[in-house]
Amino acid sequence: MSRIEAKKPSLCTSAPLTKDTVSHSMSVLSGILKSCYGPTGRLKQLHNGMGGYVRTTSQSSTLLSGLSATHPILKVLTASVQNHVSRFSDCGLFAAILCCNLLENFQRIKLLPCTVAKISRHLLSLCTDYLKSEACACRILVDFNSIETLLCLVRSVLTSKPACMLNKTEADYIGILVIKAFLLTVPNNVETNVALGKCIIVPVKNKRVMDSTVFPGLLIEIPELQMARTFPIRRVSSSSIKIALFCISLSGDHSSTGEGTVVVHHGVSLELAELDQLLNLGKQLVNDQVGLVVCQKVIHPSLKQYLKEHHIIAVDRVGLSVMEPLSQMTGSKPIAAIYSLSPSCYGILKDLRTENFVSKHFLHLIPNDTLVCSLILCNRNETAWDELKVACQTAEHVLQLTVKQPLALLGGGCTETHLASYVKYEVFNLPTSTFESLDCSQAQYQLVADAFCHSLESIACCLEHDNGEILTDAVYGHFWSIPSGFPSDATWSDLVSKCGCGMHSNQQKLKWMVLRNQHSPFTPQSCCKDPCVKSPDLRALDCFVAKFSGLQVAVETANLILDLSYIIEDQN
Amino acid sequence: MHSWIKIIFLPTQLVRNMVMVACACAHQAATGDGAKTFVIFLSSLLQGLLMALGKGVAATASPVPRRGQRGNSCIGRKEIAQSLVAFQTRVLDQVVTQDLGKHFLSAFPHRTAGIERPMLESIFEAYLCGRIGRTHLKFLSQLGCDYYYLCMPCETGSNETLNFVNDCFMELHTAVTGLPVSSSRVLDGLVLQRDFVAYCPADGDIRMLIVTDSILPALSASGVEFIVNTQVQYQASQAWISKRTEAVMKYLQNHKVKVLLSRAKQEEMVIYYAKLSGISVVHCLSPEEVSLLCRITGISPFRYWDNIHSEITETATAKFCRPILLGSKRYVHLGFSGTSAFRPHCVILCGPVHGVTEQHASAFHGAFKMLQLLFKAVDQTDRCKEKTEHPNKSSDALGCSCHSATPQKFKTEDVMHSSDKTTDQQLNVIRSERESQLTDSAMGTGENPAFVQKDLQKSLNLAVPITEIENDKFPGLTNKSPFLGETENLHLKYRHPSEIQVKGESKPVVSNQHICKVATAVAGNTSTEVVPRHLSTIKDCWKESSELVPFEDESSYKSSVQNYSDLFIQAGSVLPVGGNFEILLHYYLCNYAKQCQQSKISIISTVIADALLSIPEILYRTERGSGFPKFYLEAISALRNNQPLPRPQKGLESVYCKYLLVASVLHCVTKLLSVDLIIGIKRLPQITEANDSEEDL
Repeated sequence: MSRIEAKKPSLCTSAPLTKDTVSHSMSVLSGILKSCYGPTGRLKQLHNGMGGYVRTTSQSSTLLSGLSATHPILKVLTASVQNHVSRFSDCGLFAAILCCNLLENFQRIKLLPCTVAKISRHLLSLCTDYLKSEACACRILVDFNSIETLLCLVRSVLTSKPACMLNKTEADYIGILVIKAFLLTVPNNVETNVALGKCIIVPVKNKRVMDSTVFPGLLIEIPELQMARTFPIRRVSSSSIKIALFCISLSGDHSSTGEGTVVVHHGVSLELAELDQLLNLGKQLVNDQVGLVVCQKVIHPSLKQYLKEHHIIAVDRVGLSVMEPLSQMTGSKPIAAIYSLSPSCYGILKDLRTENFVSKHFLHLIPNDTLVCSLILCNRNETAWDELKVACQTAEHVLQLTVKQPLALLGGGCTETHLASYVKYEVFNLPTSTFESLDCSQAQYQLVADAFCHSLESIACCLEHDNGEILTDAVYGHFWSIPSGFPSDATWSDLVSKCGCGMHSNQQKLKWMVLRNQHSPFTPQSCCKDPCVKSPDLRALDCFVAKFSGLQVAVETANLILDLSYIIEDQN
Repeated sequence: MHSWIKIIFLPTQLVRNMVMVACACAHQAATGDGAKTFVIFLSSLLQGLLMALGKGVAATASPVPRRGQRGNSCIGRKEIAQSLVAFQTRVLDQVVTQDLGKHFLSAFPHRTAGIERPMLESIFEAYLCGRIGRTHLKFLSQLGCDYYYLCMPCETGSNETLNFVNDCFMELHTAVTGLPVSSSRVLDGLVLQRDFVAYCPADGDIRMLIVTDSILPALSASGVEFIVNTQVQYQASQAWISKRTEAVMKYLQNHKVKVLLSRAKQEEMVIYYAKLSGISVVHCLSPEEVSLLCRITGISPFRYWDNIHSEITETATAKFCRPILLGSKRYVHLGFSGTSAFRPHCVILCGPVHGVTEQHASAFHGAFKMLQLLFKAVDQTDRCKEKTEHPNKSSDALGCSCHSATPQKFKTEDVMHSSDKTTDQQLNVIRSERESQLTDSAMGTGENPAFVQKDLQKSLNLAVPITEIENDKFPGLTNKSPFLGETENLHLKYRHPSEIQVKGESKPVVSNQHICKVATAVAGNTSTEVVPRHLSTIKDCWKESSELVPFEDESSYKSSVQNYSDLFIQAGSVLPVGGNFEILLHYYLCNYAKQCQQSKISIISTVIADALLSIPEILYRTERGSGFPKFYLEAISALRNNQPLPRPQKGLESVYCKYLLVASVLHCVTKLLSVDLIIGIKRLPQITEANDSEEDL
């Protein structure tokens, strides 16, 4: 360009965290996130002032992508949580709220950011070491032989998203479906390299949740007209149908001709030449006893007609997303040539059926080894369906992560309160050499540790949105909530019924106290010696990997933000 | 570009800043470090110089420049600019090599073996602490060390490996967001930031082929016309394309090629036939990735598709080739046995957000750049060869300029001994050092060099030539600026003899000091007798060969000469962090300034020495209130008593990087000072296409 414009100088803000606008928008964001947390969280409506689709949600992924954070500090926070969610799907709100809490509490103690960072990293390592150790009392081993723990894990994910509008039976029903679908994606023959299959969610809106169902294999939607005329189809044997999968267009358009020019003589029709070849391909497919042709792109109507005449079902425009699952479950290789097809590129299906669902018609492809399944997901309205879809995907991802590391953390706020009491106890008993190696005083350490524990406890308190009282017990350090409006003369043991995760009840003679009050540190005890508990009353479990990483990300992001002493924005 | 470089650009007040930033960035790009120090040092140096200008460097110099007085002020600035150049080549190099040299530590305590891990760790830590937060300092230093040792094939030249890592760092690291920083790790092999388009699992050694173009034959190439006569012909050619692609893949399969790495995007058909032949395909690789693969495997991209029956020679063998899931993305992970220069490893940098991974990556890259410079031996003779083009001519020019000038005290016969000046200079250094210790005037002497000068001249006739030459230099050079460069080179080249004296630390220096002391006290003829003997020796040696020969009567120099004569800064020279370099340079420059009889050089040395202090001042200010004065006093008293410097931090930093920093700041100042006028214009200076710009403006 021949013209240049004068560059605007960069905008430099010092000590950004102390600015009113930042702390204000930070507290707004933190308020939004906190009010969404947990099964009783409040819902948020996201809508554009110009009109259009309104989304009701309480999930971090939807919220954060919908909110447009403008300030760099908020951007760091939201980006960091979004990155976490893209990797783990779960515990996004946990990470975001914990980060906000830490920022709030660390700012209050007015120590140098580097001192805070050093100490909080040490505290984090205390937590992570504990969570990883065998002695950890807030984690349990997940037994894949029992559906109970799996269901609890999945149900916790589903119920923590109240915008799905599920009641208890529906949550159980969907939970079972998700587990079923997940188990269908596990290969039957486990070799060294286990690759999980895929669960494809088929949307059916404006139907009852209880109408949802799961099919092994793949469902491909087809127009009604095609349905009636295709059967019976060609089979190789009673239980096998040959399938050919094309990833190129069979529409008869010219393929690329290279960089030079192509001169066509008068009277020569390339279209006819192409169609001629397509029909030759059809002939070969007939000869090879193919029963089903699936094409990612478009099939020429004449070829379709030809195939139909020979009782071959042709499905086109299936799109890229089903190509991989299709090739995975049938063992076919997507074909990209129309000459001399190799017999090895065909796949085998066990059976082919049609399914009708509401007003939709599906071709149901049933494979021999189910690696792929289709989950027909119903919900009453569009926004609740969207929410449910994300919830189911999260639940599936949680199961996948749990297969890799079969551990789960106690849910319902118990992990947080337990961890806080563990940290308090550990800090109380730290040798003085620790402070020396960290180059800080014991008082500084205590301040940061208190802020850290307070943040953990606050996040547990966010589970309660109805002004109830939050208690903790002095033995296990679990989370107990009592509803608001209790009589002042009542004893707490009468008011509490079960702790957040459901592992303990008021039958045990425990000593309760108000959570955020100061109390003397104690060793939180493990509930029972058997790490693989099967408490039938277990109410909530969280994905270990996701929460573990969420904890780390929250502390790291908080330290990162605290450490920012300048923001330099390029205004050009 | 004779004497004034005019920078023409739009916003006037920003130009200087832009020049500074550009210089700082260029420096950072070259050495991987020091942009902040650059700016701090530069600004305090400029302030110092302006103050010096205000006081009046010389009688001819004008006051501080103001608007409307540019014409006058530029003379003073220009002189400063020129004396800065002279300072760098004549004083700085000498002081760094000779005076600072004895304080250098070596990163290679055992000459044959490589660098040891604790040493490398402390170098990494010292470097990274200026680039990343303290939180992950330890972790990333460890990671850097791990990476260094994993990539390094044992016992071979480390420079080659470092060059490799630096060249290809963009391809050798992968940033993953959404994971905590502590998940960062070093992986064996390479990670290509693409996914397989076709993946066929294979075990054992995997033969792979690199291609740059599409394998699919096209109907027509550029500039070629394809004529379709009949439908059958068209169909046949389409069929041929398909058959041909299949044949190529079979050919590759027969030659046991398992992986095809392609820069171009490959057509669906190619991928299809590759899958049928059990060949994995990765396409759309960047040119940099392809060149990295070629460098590691030693093969070149395969092009000979015409004859698909010949043997394929351009294949490489990978140890493994598999998909890898990093964060939420799938990449290709390749393993190689590596070359003699590099064992392929790549580093995965995780962080909660993109900015963090980016920062860590650039810090990592910078650290390896710094290591590259650290492990490089800086050869003085090489530098001379590069610079000196016409040594004879320059010496003539020097003679000329000296003669034509009109100094206050000029002795023609001494000009003939222009080559001796360094020796004398050295004596002066030693003497003034001695003096300063006696008089205990730490800083103030810079302002009364005249006293020293007078004293010296009284006692030593020899001291005259140096001072005269230096005095002459400014008028001489302003008149004859083309000779500027050559004159300096001459000095540089002739510096070798002086090094000989300084490197011998203990005895000889003492004896010289003794001589000086005697000379000062008695002002007798003894010193003049002693020194010419040295001079003649050096002169003879210099004439005979460029090799340095030690003094015949002082055999103790021998070893030190052999150690230091051919190296300017030895490979792996390090100093403790925390302003040690700056304090040392400050101290020795002050000493130099005290003995230097030439007032401009002396003042400039003092200004630079003081400006250097701004760096430790900032370093220690942040820790505690009175940190810096305490550190300064401790350091200076330690230096006076020949004790080791206080060392509050345990990190180490490269001397050569530090030296480069000072040199480039001086260069930048010179550049800034040689601009006298900034003219704001509305478009770029060169517009080649004037068609649309005419209308727009």
